[in-house]
Amino acid sequence: MRKALLAGLWAAGLSMAVTAAHAETIRIANHGQAGIDAMKSTVAEIEKKYGVTVEVVEYPAPDKDYVTKLLTELAAGNGPDIFSVPSASYVADMVAAGYLAPIGKELKAWDGYNQLYDVAKELAVSPDGETYVLPSMLGINQIYFRRDVMDKAGISTEQPKTWADLIDRAKEIRAKTGQYGLLFPAGVAWGGGAFEEGFQHLLVGSKTPQLATADGKLNLTGEGIKDVFGVYKELIDNDLMPIQPLLGPEPWVIPKYEMFPAGKLVATTCGSWCYIFDWGRESKNPIPNVEKVVGTWTIPGQTSGQYVLAGLAAPWAVNSKAANVELAKKALLEIGSVPTEVSYAALIGNIPARKDAAADPDFQKLTELVPIHAAAENGVYLKQAAGFSAVSEGVARATEALLRKETDAAGAQKILVDYVKEVLGDDAVQ
Amino acid sequence: MAPHHAHNPSKRRGADLSAYATLSVISIFCAIPFFWVLLASIDGNASLFLQWPRELTIDNYVRIFMQEDGTRWVLNSLFVVGTATLIVMVLAGLGGYALSRTRAWWKRPFLYTILLIRVLPTTALIVPLYKVLLTANNWLGGVLRAIFGNGPAREILKYVGFIDGYLGLILVLATMQLPLALWIMKTFFDTVPRDYEEAALMDGATMLQRIRRVLIPLALPGLGAAGLFAFISAWGDFLLPLILLSSPDLQTLPLGLFRAFLRVNTIDYGFLAALAFVYLLPAVIAFGFARRFLVQTFSGGVKG
Amino acid sequence: MPWIQLSYERRVAWQLRLILLPSVLLLLAFVIYPAVYSIYLSLTNEALTGAAALKPRFVGTRNYARLFSDAKFWNSLLVTLIFVIGSAVIGQFVLGLVSAVLLRRPLRWKPIFNSIILLPNAVPEVVAGFMWISMLAGGERATLSRIVAFFGIPAADWLQTFPLTMIIIVNTWRGIATAMILLTAGLSAISEEIYEAARMDGATPRQMFTRITLPLIAPTIFLYMLVSTVSTIAIFGFVYALTRGGPGGATELISIYIYNQSFTAFQLGYGSAVAVVALAFSLLIGVVYVRALKVEV
Repeated sequence: MRKALLAGLWAAGLSMAVTAAHAETIRIANHGQAGIDAMKSTVAEIEKKYGVTVEVVEYPAPDKDYVTKLLTELAAGNGPDIFSVPSASYVADMVAAGYLAPIGKELKAWDGYNQLYDVAKELAVSPDGETYVLPSMLGINQIYFRRDVMDKAGISTEQPKTWADLIDRAKEIRAKTGQYGLLFPAGVAWGGGAFEEGFQHLLVGSKTPQLATADGKLNLTGEGIKDVFGVYKELIDNDLMPIQPLLGPEPWVIPKYEMFPAGKLVATTCGSWCYIFDWGRESKNPIPNVEKVVGTWTIPGQTSGQYVLAGLAAPWAVNSKAANVELAKKALLEIGSVPTEVSYAALIGNIPARKDAAADPDFQKLTELVPIHAAAENGVYLKQAAGFSAVSEGVARATEALLRKETDAAGAQKILVDYVKEVLGDDAVQ
Repeated sequence: MAPHHAHNPSKRRGADLSAYATLSVISIFCAIPFFWVLLASIDGNASLFLQWPRELTIDNYVRIFMQEDGTRWVLNSLFVVGTATLIVMVLAGLGGYALSRTRAWWKRPFLYTILLIRVLPTTALIVPLYKVLLTANNWLGGVLRAIFGNGPAREILKYVGFIDGYLGLILVLATMQLPLALWIMKTFFDTVPRDYEEAALMDGATMLQRIRRVLIPLALPGLGAAGLFAFISAWGDFLLPLILLSSPDLQTLPLGLFRAFLRVNTIDYGFLAALAFVYLLPAVIAFGFARRFLVQTFSGGVKG
Repeated sequence: MPWIQLSYERRVAWQLRLILLPSVLLLLAFVIYPAVYSIYLSLTNEALTGAAALKPRFVGTRNYARLFSDAKFWNSLLVTLIFVIGSAVIGQFVLGLVSAVLLRRPLRWKPIFNSIILLPNAVPEVVAGFMWISMLAGGERATLSRIVAFFGIPAADWLQTFPLTMIIIVNTWRGIATAMILLTAGLSAISEEIYEAARMDGATPRQMFTRITLPLIAPTIFLYMLVSTVSTIAIFGFVYALTRGGPGGATELISIYIYNQSFTAFQLGYGSAVAVVALAFSLLIGVVYVRALKVEV
């Protein structure tokens, strides 16, 4: 203790000598090395433009630990000034808790606003009609398949038209190649993945495509939900997707990094980053010629239609209790600049939400992402509501039960409904 | 049981053999999980599964200390946990002595309360705890700012702050280890006969004299054991540094471990294993040093 | 001056309190107060996010009412009980006792055995989690699967098929050392002469063990049981790393249940209520131990 005290006094003396006048400080929370690297130039830009000191605080990388820490701090009123929300499903609840500062006015006045895709603008709007997050990056998930494996086995690689079509294709893969036909993330260990990288995509093409009702409640009794669980059920019961790795820790590692490159899993949902990190040039186990060998399908609707589901990828927000909220909002908008978005795209593999990113020479180098960026215009999305983080966990639990073959589609829906009711109370669910 | 010199030599050899066999099985059970950490840490192509490294490398270790902030993590961890352990030893030495010697009515309720409250996992306490620490921190910050001004106050808070400062983490870590340490020291002092102590002291000795002449020399083995358990437990704690620390300057080893989860989804198992090994080592070394105190302490402790 | 007028005895008594004071203050600030605050939280609908975080309400005993009809809570209590009995009361104790007894022999590799058995105790929880994931996860590629393959036992998904057994084994692994240390100490306090005398009377090793050793180390055993039971109830880290409480709640210890309520569902109020009830149960266990086993302090 004495040592700490002495060290403290020493540091005090030192810092008094060095910094006579301290500039205003903005604390930005970031997590994951890639994210921090992507923000480097932005940080310098903010410091230069507004004459402030930016302190980047590295938070732990796993989302769960990040959220635990961030929410504990926000609840105590001691959060960072600017932070990213690891999954868009947390946003509505954080708004309801009063943690996020509204940025609608600033966003509309911003010169980048008109460059945003409409889907990004709409996604950023909260249930109360106000905007609290900067929609800088989009996560776009599709189905990725091994064209080479399917061609060799003589299986059609055409876009499947309906869910039944999709499942038949998976069965055909199973029958002709003996390999797993189609993976949808499922189970508790995948965290938000079950909801965000699979469930949502099917849901938007189902008979009941939305969960949020007009009055901000959740409707979880829709027939579409049962049908979506039915797709999981069919994939699982017919042994079309690998189950065992999904029940273990880090469930994506074996299917995505080992089975898919080895051709033992032939189709899987994945985000745009897969072309770069999972199997592309930044991968430890790359698939040679990935753009040719791996093709994409959009996710078909239950009976018709095609859906490119767009979601906000870790959107940025300002702490409503920031020391200087106005300044923090200005700094926030810098994160929406083209160079920052492109650097995020290069390092993490998400899609810039700005149309004018397409003209950026650095972005054009990311040839894998260019067509996905162009298609983002047609993106559809799930309307957000408070309680989505509970829905996400409920879907994880329901799909876990399906993975363990403990229930059927109706039972899975009941698990979801029960969990959400248990967490949010009966009155939040219709 | 324990026939140190059994009469029948062949019987003894047989018993010894079965002892060797049993102990070997238990030892293998204890040792096997370590192989993965060891092998993966020197494997250029490590995975989650045990495999003989095809390309031996020390890259993972080099990366920890050259590219990442490994040295800082180790030093921070040693400083924080070391200081906390010292505090525990001092406070548990004094407190354990008091608990052993007092005849007050609150002695037993106090002992049971601090033991039973250990069933509350840190996860159940962390949110209120954070609020306590934040209040203390804001108050201290206010005082420091009034004296030193804004900038210097921030620097000082890094050391004596309760949130995102060394002091807060040290005190909380120490407090979490206190109950067990107090129990160990109390039981230990129970075995030191009062007469001995009374003889060593003339009537009217001050408390300071008692501490210097009786407590410190007698208590060393007990303090060694209590300190060891405190060190190991605080060293392994992950949740408290996770919630209480933010600044890169203050990061400790368990937080560094989570940098192994780099990039989007990939996990660098080689780096992870190497860092796990670095994290493991000080605790193992501590055991090596303090082991001899253990039996000494507890054999005293259970006599009474 | 009243201070000087105090008798020597009373002065010592005050001084004893004084030197205990720093410990008491720390415990009050960082353990007791948060615990009491948890009791308060358990009577509210406080949450970490969502509307309840903005305006928490006092809800009386609603959390407790919900808890008593919550099957998952009772399940977690049962899981915790099995976990404690399986690992602390049986696993660690039996292996610790066997090790302690065998290591009293003058064996040649005694220090090596001793060190290896102590080793797992030094492993931080997070690292223990990684080590055992590698041992148990991944079906036939898991180390355990490859070991049992030697004996012709088919590979299994250990954490899925036998989740609770596995975390009991892992916790046994971590805790043999503590049991061994305490029991070695207890054994070393038994004088050799008693055994010598028994041997003269023609007692068999088994008789010596059941009639001399066990009764004489009984106080040590009871103390060990109390301390290890209480410490095992709070175990969280490595189990969370291994199973996150799953599959289907099979390893959802009370500590994990509290964490899931507080940091996955973000319901602090309800999570606190669970913690309070867990504390009440452990008080009960503590009382049972103290009364039935006469653990003396």
